[in-house]
Amino acid sequence: MSKSKKGFLVPERFKPVLGAFIFFVFMIGAFIIASPEVFLNVGIYSAVFLSLPLFAIMGMSLVYVVAAGEIDLSFPSIIPLSGLAFAWTMQQSDLNLALSASFAIGVGVGCGLINGLLVTKLGLSSLITTLGTNFTFFGLTNVLNNGAVRSFEEFNDHRVKSILVGSIGPMPAQMFWMAAIALVLGMIFHRHKFGLHVRVAGDNPEAGRAMGVNIERTKILCFVLVGFCASLVGIFTIYLLSTYFSTMGEAYLLPTLAAVFVGGTALTGGKGTIGGMVIGASTIVFIQTGVVAAGLDGHWTQLGFGLVIVLSLLGHRKFSGRLSR
Amino acid sequence: MDIQPIVKLVNVDKSYGNVYALEDINLDFYPGEIVSLVGDNGAGKSTLTKIISGTEKPDENGQIIVDNQVVTNWSSAKARARGIETVYQNRALAEQQTIYDNVFLGREITNRFGFVDRKREIEETETLMRKIGYTSKVWTPLSSVDKLSGGERQGVAISRAILFESRLVILDEPTSAMALTEAAEVLDFVSNLKKAGKSVIFISHNPWDAHAVADRFVILERGKIVFDGPKGSMSADDFIALLHKFAKKDIKS
Repeated sequence: MSKSKKGFLVPERFKPVLGAFIFFVFMIGAFIIASPEVFLNVGIYSAVFLSLPLFAIMGMSLVYVVAAGEIDLSFPSIIPLSGLAFAWTMQQSDLNLALSASFAIGVGVGCGLINGLLVTKLGLSSLITTLGTNFTFFGLTNVLNNGAVRSFEEFNDHRVKSILVGSIGPMPAQMFWMAAIALVLGMIFHRHKFGLHVRVAGDNPEAGRAMGVNIERTKILCFVLVGFCASLVGIFTIYLLSTYFSTMGEAYLLPTLAAVFVGGTALTGGKGTIGGMVIGASTIVFIQTGVVAAGLDGHWTQLGFGLVIVLSLLGHRKFSGRLSR
Repeated sequence: MDIQPIVKLVNVDKSYGNVYALEDINLDFYPGEIVSLVGDNGAGKSTLTKIISGTEKPDENGQIIVDNQVVTNWSSAKARARGIETVYQNRALAEQQTIYDNVFLGREITNRFGFVDRKREIEETETLMRKIGYTSKVWTPLSSVDKLSGGERQGVAISRAILFESRLVILDEPTSAMALTEAAEVLDFVSNLKKAGKSVIFISHNPWDAHAVADRFVILERGKIVFDGPKGSMSADDFIALLHKFAKKDIKS
């Protein structure tokens, strides 16, 4: 490779993000051509921005776990379990927000800690372990909640609700929360030494250990981060809908994972991008919302997902030549 | 005045059950010296280096003396703290990360919140790459390691040893399975390591490589030192003849 040619190329580390972005632009373009009356209207974007932040916050934490060479499938049930902790404490404590939020986050972090310890200390496969804890956490939620739907109509007059999920002009407030969290998690992933250790854990853990990096602790913290983000998603969802119900995490599993990979994070570990993840989540949420808004049957969403995942993986391979495995 | 050895081994044995992997080893490693450690498979080369780097414990009767002090409970952490660094062949680098991330891995330059000072790490990596004789103009500290050749990878691992104030660098088969030009590049890195004032223990199967870089040869056979002497005016042919002599003796007995 000659040096003059290098100048035209995008720096290595931006390639996955650029790939995800180009794909996203093409998709929006296709939507606009297919259904201009829907996709040139602000309404569709407000609808997307309503649910995008929650997917993105969840997915950003998964980027850490996947880059560390592990996977977490239990987050769809950490959301309702920590959500239950929040809802129940709110009801018991006469809406003491600080107490309820701390308890919910504590439950989320605790679930993540259990996953992390099982995987690192007992050396279990994270795929199977978190598949198991997904059932365990969900079962626990149902046993404790017993099918109750907990309504929080009083939230509608609360200032907290407008701060968390209100709207600033046409922009839902949770978009700003997403941006803030993306900034923090992105800085840590790409610029902090912890982020480097996460990537090394998935890349060559032996190299990390030989240099004195505590790989086990790094991986545990990644699982804890997933638990933490899941509890945030639980709290946001309860405020957004003013209701708690135990199936609130169900729709997250596959779309969130798809968004992580569409966003350019490699399944093989060692690499990932927070910015790409946000673009990947946008892609996925646009399909979900767009297919319905364009008047197509909801079944088309599945077809859309499938196409996007396969096409975007091909695109990433073309770009970085590394995501093929 | 006498120059003190960095590491001195006195009557070191290592046995596994009834089998001696190393028997009565007495060796000194002096500052600024490249020692080529050669011997057949199973001669005890790697056991010996593992004892020096603290990953294996010798039998109780022997002594490890570092800077004129007898050490007890020798461990890899202690060895590193005293400036003894091992560069392993395969497990040293995280391939998908950049060169500078690898060089500083585990000892990052950060601000007080733990954020990496990329600018300084990149600058220092560039200086190091020049110091050990990186000739490629294609790679910058920002390139990822999986783009590098085997020889260049060794260079990254070796520059890490220079950076962290190590005094004795143990290179375990750094040229094995390498093309000639790559191996030549690594031998260059090793000579530059010496110029930077480091001592080197160079372990190799390849007698030409071992001869090219060495100031002194140590030949191991079946756990015993059979030769320990300076290169002096010994040619590569002489050295290979010497190796054959010991190998033949081994076959006769």
